[in-house]
Amino acid sequence: MARVKISEYRAKRIILGDTYAGIQIRSGDSVPSGSWVAKVDQGVKKRFKQGLLVIDKPKVAIEAAIREWEKKGFSQFLLEPLFPHDASEEQYFSLERVRDGIRILHARDGGVDIEAHPEQVYTGTYATDADIAHIAKDTALPEEFLRQMVATFEKQFFAFVEINPLVVKDDAAHLLDAAVLVDSAGAFFVRNGWTDDDIIKAPSKHAAEAAVESLSQTTAASLKLSVIDPNGSLFFLLSGGGGSIVIADEAQLEGAGDLIANYGEYSGGPTTEETYLYAKEIVQLMLASKAQRKALVIAGGVANFTDVKITFRGIIDALKVASPAMREQGVKVFVRRGGPNEEAGLDLMREFLGAEGLLGSVHGSDTVITKAVEDAIAFIRS
Amino acid sequence: MTILEQVRNGATGILVAGNHARIVQAILDFDHLAGKEAPSVLGLIAATRKAQKFFFGSKEILVPCFKSFTDVPPSISGEVKWLLNLQSGRRTYATTSSFFEHFPNALGAHLFAENVPELHATLLVREYGKKYVIAGPSGVGVLVSGHLKLGAIGGVDMRQIDAGKFVTPGAVAVVSTSGGMTNELIRAVAAAGKRVSFSISIGGDRFPVTSLGDVLAHAEADSQTQAIVYFGELGGSDEYEIVELLQKGKITKPIVCYIAGVIDEAFDEHMQFGHAKALVASQDQSARSKRSALAAAGAIAPETFPEFLESMEQLPASSAHDRVVDIDSVMNRQRSILSTREIVDLENVPVFVKDGQLVPQKENGFASAALHALLGSDVKPITAAFVSNIFELLIDHGGHVSGAVNTMVTARAGKDMVSSLAAGLLTIGPRFGGAVNEAARTWHTGVISGAEAAAFVEARTQGGQLLAGIGHRKYRVGIPDPRVEALSEFATLLKKHPHYDFARAVENITTGKNGNLILNVDGVMAALLLDVLAEEEGYSASELDELLEAEFFNALFIIPRSVGFIAHFIEQKRNDEGLFRLPDELLFEKKIEPKDTK
Repeated sequence: MARVKISEYRAKRIILGDTYAGIQIRSGDSVPSGSWVAKVDQGVKKRFKQGLLVIDKPKVAIEAAIREWEKKGFSQFLLEPLFPHDASEEQYFSLERVRDGIRILHARDGGVDIEAHPEQVYTGTYATDADIAHIAKDTALPEEFLRQMVATFEKQFFAFVEINPLVVKDDAAHLLDAAVLVDSAGAFFVRNGWTDDDIIKAPSKHAAEAAVESLSQTTAASLKLSVIDPNGSLFFLLSGGGGSIVIADEAQLEGAGDLIANYGEYSGGPTTEETYLYAKEIVQLMLASKAQRKALVIAGGVANFTDVKITFRGIIDALKVASPAMREQGVKVFVRRGGPNEEAGLDLMREFLGAEGLLGSVHGSDTVITKAVEDAIAFIRS
Repeated sequence: MTILEQVRNGATGILVAGNHARIVQAILDFDHLAGKEAPSVLGLIAATRKAQKFFFGSKEILVPCFKSFTDVPPSISGEVKWLLNLQSGRRTYATTSSFFEHFPNALGAHLFAENVPELHATLLVREYGKKYVIAGPSGVGVLVSGHLKLGAIGGVDMRQIDAGKFVTPGAVAVVSTSGGMTNELIRAVAAAGKRVSFSISIGGDRFPVTSLGDVLAHAEADSQTQAIVYFGELGGSDEYEIVELLQKGKITKPIVCYIAGVIDEAFDEHMQFGHAKALVASQDQSARSKRSALAAAGAIAPETFPEFLESMEQLPASSAHDRVVDIDSVMNRQRSILSTREIVDLENVPVFVKDGQLVPQKENGFASAALHALLGSDVKPITAAFVSNIFELLIDHGGHVSGAVNTMVTARAGKDMVSSLAAGLLTIGPRFGGAVNEAARTWHTGVISGAEAAAFVEARTQGGQLLAGIGHRKYRVGIPDPRVEALSEFATLLKKHPHYDFARAVENITTGKNGNLILNVDGVMAALLLDVLAEEEGYSASELDELLEAEFFNALFIIPRSVGFIAHFIEQKRNDEGLFRLPDELLFEKKIEPKDTK
């Protein structure tokens, strides 16, 4: 379950349907003649302040602006006809999925900082159709607009919609800027709406992150990687969402936070092959680091169902390829893990690391979860 | 009685939706190690099979599979208290709703899937959140020590279940959103010499159906629980819920917490950690802020994980003794590769001669023994007589029929008895002898659907399709099949014969179209056998379905006709006419036009 951004163009097409006059432009597309509001459409916040928005300019000026934006790495833009209005008409409107339904925020003054001025913001919760009438009364928003927004929100598996500014004229709502987060888990149920293609992906900062991200899209297991310092000393090959934080915490508490090269974890029972591909990225990252002393921490809690032997086989396969280079660089490997087939998995790992001269230490579920990282930090500092 | 008390009083029956054999086996292992006499898993919802084999201790058992909740028989449904939903995120909502519709008196569920849409999760919160305990979406489930293991919680191999010591009831509740850390804490409690009272893994999704506050309320109300251990992470505001409960005096039992995530301070920007909620959105969501708030409200919230483990020493101990179980002998268990039942009682040798005298036997002895073997239970006299009549009638129907011809041709090619018999048997199929089962299915479907014969025939024969059990090449209206006449007399012995009536009603329609479309011997056998089984043997519609699935009705042709084929084989061997060859004039050879190769 994740909340992900879709493009403003797609969001408005879904909400407004065929009446929407905006045009999506990707790098290379030609700009139609006429006067437009143009903006970068890649989920960027505060576009006006960053100069990623031009208002009511002719084709030539728009083309120039797009060229500038492309230099900054953007490739997807939105053109809309100008909607003339007075700044005083701008309102704030948002919907968010919460435990009891949909929380609706509204402010008459679109310029208000919602968090700083809660007293100026109306908050209501939609749970059933009966709520529409009182929300319409309290906000003075057209009832039909509210009903349509809520229906779209539900049908399209939206998680969050922010329209700022919203302008209402003669009972018609005009969405000047719209940001929509959809619930990626709802993709299967959405008909005639957004698809995976509309989701805006955050640019991966590092090749290894991109490789793990594309790998994670092909498995039911969870694989995550963030590169923090490519020249760090402490490399993490962690398992389990909660346990991995405890282990990383220990490094921070020992004052070794600045040694950390990466963070991430695998969980949800990956296969030997998936674990191999994941581990390979981290091992390559480690070999590329210019740090003098390097340690690899293979650690996690006591798994419920992720098989230690199956996953460790994959890790060993990845280490095998790199072991001469690791030996040369003086890398040591420190392990703490528990779970199904724990004994067999740990024996396999201990034997392999011993034979390859990479053994730092290997611990099982009878030792504290933080033991491997403590050993690794002591090794780096020795 | 609270839900936990009900569980401790035996409300532990589980239905499993979806397949994850290792988790199901782990539940059965837990049951065995806890000393239960019967497994808590009552059945699996799986469309592709009827039963699946698991171990209960060292013994193997067959756990029944059902296509849907509707198919769970009354003998089981009263025991169903929990759903273990192992299906994918997209199916979780529909299955869970359906479960609680069918079993409103159940106690709860665990939803294992990680990608349940938020909308579905909030609908589950609204519809079922108040009444039931529902762990998830995501996470590893619910554990009530010694009584219930609903999910992967505590591990899936027997050594893990043993190491967690949760077959022994204890006094410490373990609560976490993290599935992995739930298990880590269960182990830590055991390592500190304490025992767990119950544990719920809430799941890392944004909208857990049973919330942290709900779980803590269960812990507070539970008479067995004397203290709570909690693992939380940075991000979200769950821990402030605990702070509020502590401040309002709604939690009075000691609570030991660890909040992970100080590592976030090492990074320039806040990082998204593994769980959906694990991202700091404002300063009060940092691990440090939450930890301080908890400590200020009276929780025991150590700075480091090792200190957290040490503080577990202060937790209350369990008064119960651990069960001593020999795990090694159970772990050496061998999986069988086939399952069957005892077809005949090998101890009970029939006695036909005693004291130089023939011992009087019961009537229709062979038919009755054969039916006992096929159905697994004794049959009534009418049933045995009917099948005996079929057996005698169907031994042979002359040497012209396909199966007999193939048997004879094979025998004359010099083959042995088994080969020749096999050649005959392999001829049995939809057009020759093998239509009894199909006919039975036709009548069964017709009776169940309550359709009018005319409409039924109309629907079934669109596009010129034939009805199994109807039609004969030789006999027609005015020239009745004497075998059909003879078998039909059995209807007079039955109080009710809906299948026979339906078959006759269908015949009435079809003979209106063509005089050859009469009820044939396959059709009448099938219809009356269904009636005999339903009326005399008490078979329910679903039990008849099971026999249809197993092709039982075709056995009534195959058994007697094997005798006939063997008779034809023996006759060929006696006559020994040499290799059979079809005379030229009896074979039409189609001319093949040469292809135009231009």
